Amino acid sequence: MSPLLEVKGLKVDFHLENRIVHAVEGVDLQVRRNETVVLAGESGSGKTITTLALTRILPAPARIVAGQVLLEGRDMLALEEKKLYSIRGGVIAYIFQEPASFLNPVLTIGEQIVEAVIWHQRLGRQEAQDQGRELLRQVRIAEADRVFNSFPHQLSGGMNQRAFIAMALACKPSLLIADEPTTSLDVTIEAEILKLLTELKEKVGFSLLFITHNLAIARKISQRIYVMYRGRVVENGLTEDIFKDPKHFHTRELIAAYHKIGKL
Amino acid sequence: MKDNPYLFWGLAIILMLSATALFAPLISPFDPSSIDSQGLLMAPCARHPLGTDGLGRDLLSRMIYGARISLSVGIIAVGISILLGLILGSCAGFYGRIADALIMRFADIMLCFPTFFLILAVIAVVEPSIYNIMIVIGLTSWMGPARLIRGEILSLKEREFIQAERALGASDARIIIRHLVPNAVGPVLVNATLGIAGAILLESSLSFLGLGVQPPVPSWGNILIESKSTLGIAWWITVFPGLAILITILGFNFIAEGLKKIIG
Repeated sequence: MSPLLEVKGLKVDFHLENRIVHAVEGVDLQVRRNETVVLAGESGSGKTITTLALTRILPAPARIVAGQVLLEGRDMLALEEKKLYSIRGGVIAYIFQEPASFLNPVLTIGEQIVEAVIWHQRLGRQEAQDQGRELLRQVRIAEADRVFNSFPHQLSGGMNQRAFIAMALACKPSLLIADEPTTSLDVTIEAEILKLLTELKEKVGFSLLFITHNLAIARKISQRIYVMYRGRVVENGLTEDIFKDPKHFHTRELIAAYHKIGKL
Repeated sequence: MKDNPYLFWGLAIILMLSATALFAPLISPFDPSSIDSQGLLMAPCARHPLGTDGLGRDLLSRMIYGARISLSVGIIAVGISILLGLILGSCAGFYGRIADALIMRFADIMLCFPTFFLILAVIAVVEPSIYNIMIVIGLTSWMGPARLIRGEILSLKEREFIQAERALGASDARIIIRHLVPNAVGPVLVNATLGIAGAILLESSLSFLGLGVQPPVPSWGNILIESKSTLGIAWWITVFPGLAILITILGFNFIAEGLKKIIG
């Protein structure tokens, strides 16, 4: 069976005022159905830019200069912008690092979820609201009704991240891209969010592309790992193999960093 | 309300004035154009609390009806300018580049003309009716709001929740209307209340020059001009409309000040 997502030779440049920076220099990547894949690497190695390029939501100075992104066989880079609206969120959904700043501060959690549900599933307002509350319960928010009517600044980081996950799941995506979703949370909340994501993945059935620089998390949740360094994938393989026998020095660095923290 | 006296008094003044304007036919003791045969230029007395003018019309009634003109000119003119400013400013801020350059240079050009003389020139061509005045004031005062909104949008569009919305499949129009404008509206509101005060003043000045609201329709500005010739013997015709303008402007400025405190 062909993979859900296949990226071939993706190159992204940043066109700055007087120079061009090569942020991503030929990345190959595959995500199969119902698989959890980790994209690891230090800050600035191009992990986030790679994932943003998949649905073409890169920030302004960045441009995709080469490569192919095949989503269920469709070439994402050739599609016209309008067709992408239903794919973004509908097929590929994102969750981000700092949930509070990725939620609109002047709308309640409920309004934002309902908006996404109406937009992608073409439901009526009442049905969308019911489904919004149901989604909040699905991400284990105890007081779903209170949270539904709250603004992001009234909730804790973990709560916001749960709400954001609910919003991402609103449109039943096939691929969820999680860009360091637990980096801004404390360790106990981090464990809960990771558990939630793995459970949801089983229950709802989607593939998870998880970005992190923390290989401890990678080991816990993923089947395969891609290690990125300076815009390239320098190593990839099954999670166990990579931990057993890391080839590239950056992989060894990342593993060493995680052992070092363990010893502190 | 208690810790924001500006907003309290501002709202109190403006609500009272609005009620006066709305219920003018019920409140005013006389018809604004009926002539009292008992006397011209009567000083304030029991029958005419604010006296009568040179034609023997009750000043209080004329001012009550004048409030309708002044307030509606202020509110509608500013409504037009804010609407234009919102549309042009958000397009300039959101799309940047050529759209931004074109719109903002056009705004700069408009700002180069002294507004008052621009209005005088337009009124010289079109008929000086109350509706034309509203439209002309609106069309010549959108530049301030547009700049303000552009600035807000410029910084807001880089915020993360906008990227999150895009990742959820929102179109440009949806992002602007639903997510950017509601976040930018605070400072615009402050600007609008000040704008209303400015528009009322402008209408009074135009009417004073005889190019605004035409007699016999009473506006505060044209009551003032009629008082000019009798200033030496009938102070009340000058003082009371002047005070009314002063208090109204003060009221709107208080509201603006109070809103500024709330918005921070």
